[in-house]
Amino acid sequence: MSHLFLDPFGYAFMRHGLISALLLSLSGGLLGCILVLRRLALMGDALSHSLLPGIAVVWLLFGASTTALFAGALVAGLLTALGSALLSRLTRVKEDAAFGSLFIIFFGAGVALLSRLPTRLNLSHFLFGSVLGVSVADLQLAAAASGLTLLAFLVGYRGILLETFDPVFNRATGGCGSVVHFGVLALTVLNLVAALQTMGVVLGLGLFLLPAVSAYLWCDHFARMLVLAVAVAMVCSWAGILLSYHAGVASGAAIVLCLGAVFIFSALFSPRHGAAGRLLGRWREQ
Amino acid sequence: MNPDEPEHNILRFRDVTLRYGRQTALESVTTDIPCGSLTAILGPNGAGKSTLLRAILGWMPLARGEIRIGDAHAEHALPRLAYVPQRHAVDWDFPITVRAVVEQGRYPALKFWQRPAAEDRARVDRALAELDLTAVGERQIRQLSGGQQQRVFLARALAQGADIFLLDEPFAGLDLFATEELTHIFRSWGRQGRTVLAAVHDLHLARRVFSRAVLLATTLVAAGPIEAVLTEANIDRAFRAAHCVHAP
Repeated sequence: MSHLFLDPFGYAFMRHGLISALLLSLSGGLLGCILVLRRLALMGDALSHSLLPGIAVVWLLFGASTTALFAGALVAGLLTALGSALLSRLTRVKEDAAFGSLFIIFFGAGVALLSRLPTRLNLSHFLFGSVLGVSVADLQLAAAASGLTLLAFLVGYRGILLETFDPVFNRATGGCGSVVHFGVLALTVLNLVAALQTMGVVLGLGLFLLPAVSAYLWCDHFARMLVLAVAVAMVCSWAGILLSYHAGVASGAAIVLCLGAVFIFSALFSPRHGAAGRLLGRWREQ
Repeated sequence: MNPDEPEHNILRFRDVTLRYGRQTALESVTTDIPCGSLTAILGPNGAGKSTLLRAILGWMPLARGEIRIGDAHAEHALPRLAYVPQRHAVDWDFPITVRAVVEQGRYPALKFWQRPAAEDRARVDRALAELDLTAVGERQIRQLSGGQQQRVFLARALAQGADIFLLDEPFAGLDLFATEELTHIFRSWGRQGRTVLAAVHDLHLARRVFSRAVLLATTLVAAGPIEAVLTEANIDRAFRAAHCVHAP
């Protein structure tokens, strides 16, 4: 039996893929909880799509340099986050509409630029991810993004909790809410960029949102939700990479499918907050 | 001593003027709030009730005038202030227990590396006990009654160690029993020298619960003992002024 679970990791590329996914599970689980609780899940989606033009512009200018591609994605993501925040503060437009507008402009620019590229084949792994191609440099980026996120949560735990639960109280007691808000968005962009290689632009967000929303269905304590989200992300990353190896499917998609299974199970069977438990409760009341 | 003497006025507003862009939200408000008083901020929608609370908290720069808390400028007295949000502003499904919310009252006093000390935990215990929440401390906040939910945020304000409580529509959404319970808490706070300043839209309720009032209609219509403020002439003036302001 053990050969099913351990043998795949005899290959260096599988080990790299697993380590990268586990590192991103740590940061994705933590950040995902904040995105879900602050109802920013769709903004995360918008951010992930907005990375595309950064990749395309850099590709046109510098060719297939991995470092430049990541830098381009990072700049595009940060521009979207910062631009949306500024738009919502300086104009009448609310932040969700600002994100929605900017991301679609960025995504449109990305698609337009991609159509000008001499070849489209090489970009496919940025869209859908490939565990086979995780290099040592990718691992270093994932470790940096993950380490920075963990540090931010350790240092700023109380500020993050206050700003997420009650930003008005945070402000009333002298807390700096905008630092937390921009910090979370910037870390989300950084981790989405770091997840490009393993998960891809589109599926990367799954590692953030699905573990968090699953944990939300089980936990009544903030800290426990963070821990459970990270644990779910890690277990599903490991299971997804095994699935991708044995079934020959894309690694990002396999991880998202495992996370999706946990989410659907939670939504149906979580005793207090799942559908079955609530329906049973209503039925008993009647 | 007469509580209206200046040394007993814990909040002093002098010519307070605030603007949202070109629009004036409060014009030249000058009044005092005595220490240990229960004061309702009254007025029609858009009269500047919430704006006044925001100004005390320092969230809106004053276009003119000053607000003093005791002898200090408002921005230097934040630890004395506790703000209690409107109930509808709270996400009741948030994964957090009653005790964890009350513990947040101690956060401003802690550096990021400090863990809550025995004194912090004792303050949280006292706040929970004073508001009769000890037994439900480990419950998630959705699992409480409306009155208990309101008391959680009052307990957090107590744990903060504040002596001036700013509340935005504290009675909104509460049933009769919970309203009575909250009234009882405010009165006992007043006896202990704690000052309560609440934006309230229900004039009848305000008359029953509060001893003083500040009636606004962008400008100050009247301030003082509630019976003297809520005269027919003053109410008429406040609501007619609002009608004129909001008329196209």
